[in-house]
Amino acid sequence: MDGTPLIRLADVSKVYHLESGDFTALRHISLDINEGEFVALMGPSGSGKSTLMNQLGILDIPSAGEIFIAGRNIAQMTNLERTHMRRDVIGYVFQKFYLIPLLSAYENVEYPLILKYKKRDASGRAAAVLKSVGFDEEMSAHRPNQLSGGQQQRVAIARALVNDPKIILCDEPTGNLDRKTGFQIMDILADLHKKGKTVILVTHDPKIAEYAHRTIQLEDGRVVES
Amino acid sequence: MKGIFFNLSVRSVRLNFLRSLLASIGIVIGVVAISSMGMLGTNMQLLVKDQLTTGINIIMVTPDVVMAEPGSSVSSSNGITDIQLREIRDAAGVNDVIPIDKGSTQFSIGSNDGRGSIYGLDPDDIRSIMNVSEGTTIRGESDAIVGATIASRFDIKIGTRIKIGEPNISVTRPVVRVAGILPAAGLSSSNGINTDNAIIVSDTWYTSQFGEGNLYDQVNIYLKDVSTLTEVEDAIDKKVNRNKEVVRISDSSSRITSVSSTLSSLTTFIMAIGSISLLVAATSIFNVMMMSVSERVQEIGVLLSIGTETGEVRRMFLYEAFILGIIGAGIGGIMSVIIGYSVVSAMIGNTAYFFLPESIVYIPVGMIVGMIVCIISGLYPAWHASNMDPIDALRSE
Ligand SMILES: Nc1ncnc2c1ncn2[C@@H]1O[C@H](COP(=O)(O)OP(=O)(O)OP(=O)(O)O)[C@@H](O)[C@H]1O
Ligand SMILES: [Mg+2]
Repeated sequence: MDGTPLIRLADVSKVYHLESGDFTALRHISLDINEGEFVALMGPSGSGKSTLMNQLGILDIPSAGEIFIAGRNIAQMTNLERTHMRRDVIGYVFQKFYLIPLLSAYENVEYPLILKYKKRDASGRAAAVLKSVGFDEEMSAHRPNQLSGGQQQRVAIARALVNDPKIILCDEPTGNLDRKTGFQIMDILADLHKKGKTVILVTHDPKIAEYAHRTIQLEDGRVVES
Repeated sequence: MKGIFFNLSVRSVRLNFLRSLLASIGIVIGVVAISSMGMLGTNMQLLVKDQLTTGINIIMVTPDVVMAEPGSSVSSSNGITDIQLREIRDAAGVNDVIPIDKGSTQFSIGSNDGRGSIYGLDPDDIRSIMNVSEGTTIRGESDAIVGATIASRFDIKIGTRIKIGEPNISVTRPVVRVAGILPAAGLSSSNGINTDNAIIVSDTWYTSQFGEGNLYDQVNIYLKDVSTLTEVEDAIDKKVNRNKEVVRISDSSSRITSVSSTLSSLTTFIMAIGSISLLVAATSIFNVMMMSVSERVQEIGVLLSIGTETGEVRRMFLYEAFILGIIGAGIGGIMSVIIGYSVVSAMIGNTAYFFLPESIVYIPVGMIVGMIVCIISGLYPAWHASNMDPIDALRSE
């Protein structure tokens, strides 16, 4: 990548405007993350980890400072371009899985492909990705509410992967799972990292953070260690 | 592409089937109201128009009333002379021309007194323009035929005798014998004569009693071809009126346009009343759509955060409104046939026109209006859903 980081934050701040006054959730954060890194984002509750993840996931734009992802300045993109970036470059995995309740496991994974190619998937990619995360094929037709937490998170990871994004963002992906299942999910993420994905992960659990090769510590909206 | 979003909408409707169905009932009622009101009005128009057009091929020529000169007390209605009649016949060409004497008279049947019109026509003409429903046409000198209203009011039978003229003890009144009774004509008198409340006698009898000599009160021209109406009217006008208005020439076409325009504004009016129910329907669809959006806020947040375009989210909710519309309009369309048919047959008593395109078209019209109302009601909820902030939407519980 000739020196250019995949993700660059330059003096990023995020201020929430509340009735009770302004609240600064991120303070002057500057960070580079290179392609192929496996980063754990840690810090006490309320320190701004999710807020930072939302900036990285282009769900939000910073109040000040600039973010570059894959060489593009997020603030200068149109809404539609940001949407397409979320679809094609970033895969988001949530703590609460957030599968689409009206779609089956298979359809949830197929969904981003349909968004991208504007047609149903005939390549078998959705099924292949589901299989690659160890999801039981027989459960493909089940709706999310018929699946266990671990199964749901596998589907969610498959959904995040299916458009072959460069970046996988995981906000406490094991937070709603028991330890054993949590480690299984982490094994999947470690495997993805091995295959070249850039993985950024929020966790409170030092054991989980051990999977990562770099830890960024947030406190009160500031990076205290990276 | 349509596939997945349409599927999501179908599933959402199915998930909340009862609620969706209830919301659609508003649309059903609106569609039924619009289409049955429209059909009712149209059937009424068609019926009335058909009845009115029965007499449309008739030109009526009447003497112009000569207005009194200022200072003079004379104001007279001359009647149409034999010369004018001949001119009319000339102008009318191949069409039948029938001169008519007419007046109004008192009469008595037994001990009952009444008042009505009396017409004097040549018995041959009577035969050609009137068909009795009972008895025979006029054959003898003092035969008469009577209209249906008079016949039923005075309980007239064939052979009943009618004394014509003012009841007056000192004078013996002339008497006619009823030879035939005419069917009820209503508005649709096919001969241009209001026979329902009339006594028709031969012209010779009429002249002998009311003695207007060779002046006629009206001349009717029966056109063989309706399209020659203005042509013939112009010819008569040119021939008889020359440079002074001596006869008035009229037909019923203006009456038809005025009646049907009245009826069509009436139709519009009752349809407007029907569409008020669609306003109620719009509210319930709007309500259900807003419920659907607010129940799925988190889902919308997910859709947006994994790269669904705002237009796609909007479309998903518009499909949902569309589906509600399809359900409502579909049921409404079927019910419109049944209810519309019942209303038309109950209120007009004649369903002969019901399946004509002019009438039945109100069913698709009602359905389309219902669909449009549905989609319009879904516009704001869909816009609202697609413009959510994904983070706020995800955080909502
Ligand atoms: N949409 C918002 N509006 C207002 N304040 C917000 C909003 N989102 C986050 N905050 C505030 O910003 C701060 C950081 O929140 P954030 O969710 O980033 O914390 P976190 O590090 O992810 O915490 P946790 O470990 O509990 O998930 C918190 O004090 C929170 O109240
Ligand atoms: Mg958080």
